[in-house]
Amino acid sequence: MSTIELILLVIGVDSINSKILLCHECDLLIQNQIIAEGSKLECPRCGHVLYKQKHNTISKTLAYTITALFCFYPAVTESIMTLNMSGFVQQQSLIGGASVLLHEHYYLVAILTFMSSMLIPLLRLLLLFYVTFSLSVNYFHNSLLWSFRLYHQIEEWGMLDVYMLGIIVSVVKLLSMAEIQPGFGLWAYAGLLVTSILATTSLNPHEVWELLLKKKNQQESG
Amino acid sequence: MGSMTGKEAGLVLCTECHVTHHLIPGVDLKCSCCGAQLHQRKPNSLNRTWALLIASIILFIPANVLIIMNVTYFGQEDPSTIIGGVIILVHHGSYAVAFVVFVASVIVPVFKMLGILMILLSLKYKINITDRQRIRMFRVIDFIGRWSMLDIFVISILAALVNISGLAVITAGNAATAFGSVVVLTMLAANSFDTRLFWDYNYSGAINKTK
Repeated sequence: MSTIELILLVIGVDSINSKILLCHECDLLIQNQIIAEGSKLECPRCGHVLYKQKHNTISKTLAYTITALFCFYPAVTESIMTLNMSGFVQQQSLIGGASVLLHEHYYLVAILTFMSSMLIPLLRLLLLFYVTFSLSVNYFHNSLLWSFRLYHQIEEWGMLDVYMLGIIVSVVKLLSMAEIQPGFGLWAYAGLLVTSILATTSLNPHEVWELLLKKKNQQESG
Repeated sequence: MGSMTGKEAGLVLCTECHVTHHLIPGVDLKCSCCGAQLHQRKPNSLNRTWALLIASIILFIPANVLIIMNVTYFGQEDPSTIIGGVIILVHHGSYAVAFVVFVASVIVPVFKMLGILMILLSLKYKINITDRQRIRMFRVIDFIGRWSMLDIFVISILAALVNISGLAVITAGNAATAFGSVVVLTMLAANSFDTRLFWDYNYSGAINKTK
């Protein structure tokens, strides 16, 4: 082992066994904390949740992720709602909506809508599926590390929940001028929203990192 | 409480995989576990936040002055601004929705920009706000930011759905592009801000320069 590698030796992982923790939000050094199963550790200075002691969350997350992925295709391609305006009927899907905006040359609005309501939620689900599925079948590859990193980096740019509120507001705005009927796409979209939220909240990222790093060390030493 | 920061102890935290490393001065470090770039503080945090904030404040003007949505109903054009859209909803009697739209597209962006501005100014001029207050304010700002995308989504849904030529056509206006940029820029501004600077300022008397 070279000197650089020696210096780089990890001195503590955020885990129950670790001696040293650093707070993400205020950089406070915290030493020798013991956390009981099922409880969490908060930073005494800024209140940031440092560590959650919750295990076996991976299979649950995997189940929710698969369900969400099943909902995704109909949610995007089926019609969200049907508009009936004195005999004229029109219906539109999510993907159709984005392409209409593109044709009207509102590129930024079209791209923002497409990214935050379709592309990023899909990408996040696929990354989450890859990570949780690999962990549950005991497979390890280095790409899992950046996949899980990317999953967290793009978190706030996926806006399924905001878009759902947008659908509700649009319906209220349209009620005064037309008759509205919900389409199959809307139900699929609601399912996608609920299962994605469940997948995100049921996952304990600390547990995933611990498992990933353990597997990585095993692979390197073995 | 004998509080010491990781920076003072010569440690650096990988913000991706939560592993703590020793810092070697002058060496560009990558996390040995997950491969992420390691920084004790986000690089140029304050400058980047200032730049993004100023850009978003400038764009907020056209976002409110220009037309955001154009409704053509039986040949009659009815363009509206952000505030105009809220007023129309109030006239229709849908107060709850008017309130939601008003909060998402006026209150949230204004609150967010003022909040970031206050945080930056309080660091620059050493105004005494406790760190707990500042971090709470920052967390609220960070959490609510994405909800101002609501109006953009509403317009994209309406423009796509209501497109019956001769009867009713809804098109987006230029303010939509400006407003979308405001939302994205304020989100980026919040992201580039490093909350750990609050405590650096407190314990060493001045803002430490990030490298």
